[in-house]
Amino acid sequence: MIDRCGVSPSPFLSQRSLVKSGTVWNNLGARGLHVTAVQCKNHAARIRVGKGDRGVTYEQALHPHHIGHRKGWLSQHPCNLKGEEGAADRALEDVFIRRFMFGTFHGCLANEVVIKRRGNLLIVCALMLQKLPPQKFYFLTGYTESLLSHFYKCPVKLEIQTLQKQAVYKYL
Amino acid sequence: MSSTGRGVTSPLCFSSDPNSAPCPALNKYGGAREVHSDRLCNGKDFLRNSTFGFEKFERLSWSQIITNTTITVTDEPDTLFQKVSVLVKGHDRSVLDSYEFFATMAAKELGITLGNVFEPPKDVLRLTLLKSIHIFKKHRVQYEMRTHYRCLELFRLTGSTAQVYLEYIQRNLPEGVAMEVSKIAVAKVPEHILQPMWEEPTADNAPSPTADLKG
Repeated sequence: MIDRCGVSPSPFLSQRSLVKSGTVWNNLGARGLHVTAVQCKNHAARIRVGKGDRGVTYEQALHPHHIGHRKGWLSQHPCNLKGEEGAADRALEDVFIRRFMFGTFHGCLANEVVIKRRGNLLIVCALMLQKLPPQKFYFLTGYTESLLSHFYKCPVKLEIQTLQKQAVYKYL
Repeated sequence: MSSTGRGVTSPLCFSSDPNSAPCPALNKYGGAREVHSDRLCNGKDFLRNSTFGFEKFERLSWSQIITNTTITVTDEPDTLFQKVSVLVKGHDRSVLDSYEFFATMAAKELGITLGNVFEPPKDVLRLTLLKSIHIFKKHRVQYEMRTHYRCLELFRLTGSTAQVYLEYIQRNLPEGVAMEVSKIAVAKVPEHILQPMWEEPTADNAPSPTADLKG
């Protein structure tokens, strides 16, 4: 029994059944044996170490198993707790809000958007780069707040902090 | 048990969040209502079903809000609670630690007798899924969701105290934290069962229902 390998099955018959049946067949359709450890590696939300020229934020540098220990949560609502409902609706809203923010403030987002829910209130916190003049930021903030509050029928507040440069945690 | 306290209801209207960024005019989310929540979470559905409506979104100044809040004093007796139990749930233990400190401090300031404040054991929901989209059954990935709890017990409260305290606690509930409140009320024993039936003198000549039992 070969462990940790990916054996592509032959399109006609497997190796074992050939031996059992005793027929003399050439494995014309059999493909090669791949013995790799590649499929055991985790790829989720990880940036692999590279040459050292790519700046990476704190959020990107820490892997998902650090959530709760060294990392916080990007979306805070009580629906994932035991005995609470509505998790799927909140997840859908979060996805839409993140895409909306990414599109409205195109190229300005420095880090992931943090979404908090306090009662009826939806608070969207974002870190921005100073790529636009402040008047445009104010307009886009008001536009986002009114549009999202009309979509979700709840008060939406946007909390924006701007930075001059990208906040780099380390270079990978 | 005689209850002499008068019921005081203070419907407060929800003004804008005190922790938010300052804005020139305050937003009024809805009309005045009393808090009768036995189960509150920081989701939207609870408040959506109440009198809050997006149609009532107006801009009011401070003076208008102050005149809108009315404290009504009624003569009906106040409900008495033997025990009010507040269970707070969250994903982050440190958030619950700080919330417990805040809630216990608020209770001490208001003079509410606090029972034991304890931490029930956490609940972990684990999911084991296949790592790959096709085959590789031996390689799986596990996710878990931890729910931490904190329980506060308050004893011997009046209805109005409980209402004020719970409203204060709930307004300052952090995001991502849910709360369940259970109240045990004390009621007066109804008069018709105060005295046992066989001791009551029967006015009419009809045979008492307990005659067969005794004889």
